[in-house]
This record gives sequence, structure tokens and C-alpha cells, in this order.
Amino acid sequence: MEAQKVDMFIMSNGKFFESHQINVIRERLIALDDSKWAMISTIQFKDPTTSLIVSILAGSLGIDRFILGDTGLGIGKLLTCGGLGIWAIVDWFQIQKVTREKNLQKIQQFLY
Amino acid sequence: MALSRNKLYSIMFIACFAGYIWLYFGLSHEQSKDKPLEVCLVKHFTNIPCPSCGSTRSVLSLIKGDFNEAFGINPMGFLIAFIMFLSPLWIIVDVTAKKNTLFNFYQKIETYLKKPQLAIPLVLIVIINWIWNITKGL
Repeated sequence: MEAQKVDMFIMSNGKFFESHQINVIRERLIALDDSKWAMISTIQFKDPTTSLIVSILAGSLGIDRFILGDTGLGIGKLLTCGGLGIWAIVDWFQIQKVTREKNLQKIQQFLY
Repeated sequence: MALSRNKLYSIMFIACFAGYIWLYFGLSHEQSKDKPLEVCLVKHFTNIPCPSCGSTRSVLSLIKGDFNEAFGINPMGFLIAFIMFLSPLWIIVDVTAKKNTLFNFYQKIETYLKKPQLAIPLVLIVIINWIWNITKGL
């Protein structure tokens, strides 16, 4: 793919990934066939900021985990009042990283 | 799927272990007749009980064999007691036999629960239980 297109993609979607992953994503995208651009440019990513807000407001009900697709862990959080409050607080700091990992998994389906 | 087999097993095992310690605390605390133990963030901040408030009391009365009281406090206690009893055994069997039946089961359940026809009724049940929790003032 053209470097210009890839850089545009990285600029608008960089916040959805960990900073150390962006270089690898960029290289993979440049090596990718041009026909996949339509798919790549329309993937919907989950915003780490949104999950942080949800985690702070409704984290002890497990809603942040449900939104990310971790249904099992969400039920675990719901049933235990957010892991007696401890897991909920740990997730305030972890949920952004988890969201970025989920986004990486999503784009990896198209990269390889 | 990000969660690997070993990670899931260690999370569940630690959670169950912590749960048993918590139950032991609850049991010894109950006899001393102090103010009941409460750690729920939602309840502390908003004074409204959360959907799973009272599940410790529910499991404790289940241990004593009082099923009606357990249901009256919070029906979720049955589910929690069931998971807490079953999952450590299942994990031990899986780890010793080097199989991953529990992991496969977990993934299958997760995909089932994501279907709307199952998810919406379950969410409604949780909300109804929550309203019941608020009205009985746990």
C-alpha cells in the first residue's frame, strides 16, 4: 500500500493502539495488498477513553468488560461486586491497555 | 480470544481462593455481632445496593442449609456458591489430566451468552433482581 495512505490511517487511528505496536502495524500495512484498503479503513475500533469512563462509572457491575466482549469476566465482576471492589479499581488502570489489545487483535485479522 | 487457558485458570482459582477466605471472614464476623462487613463500592458511594449486594450473606445462609433465607437475601448466591464449589474441582481435574475441557466450556458459554435472545432476558433478570434488592433495602 502507498505510504501516504498508511500514514493517514496511522494518524487518525493511532490512539487506538499501544505506541510500541504502531511501527509494526505501519510496516505490515505497507506490505499489504492495495485491495484490502477498503476493509482496513472501515474497521470500527473501540475507544480506550470510552472504556475508561465506563470502567469508572459502572466498573463494579462489569459493564466495561461486557463492552469489550469479555462476557465471562464481565459476569465474574458482576457477581462479585467488582471483585469486592478490588478488581474494579485494578481495572480502572488496566482497561485502556486491554482495549488497545482488543483493537490490535481486530486489525490482525486483516494484516496476516 | 485473548484469554489463554492458563490465565483463565489462574484467575478463576485465585478468585475462588479469595472467595473462600472472604467467606471465612464473613463466618467469623457474623458470630461477633458487629456491624456487617461491607466493601461494595457502589453502596458506599451512592447508598444504593448493587445487583450482587447480599450475596455473601446469601452464601453464608446456604452453608447453614437455609435455602429459603438464601433466596430471600439474594438469589445470585446460588449461582456463586455453585461456581465456587465446582470450578476449583474442575480446574484441578483439568490441570492434572492436562486437558482443557473447562476452557472450551467457558468459550462456548461466552459465545452463547453474546446472542441477543439469551443476553436480553438475562440482563432483564439482573435488573429485576437489582430492583428487588433496592426495595428490600439490603
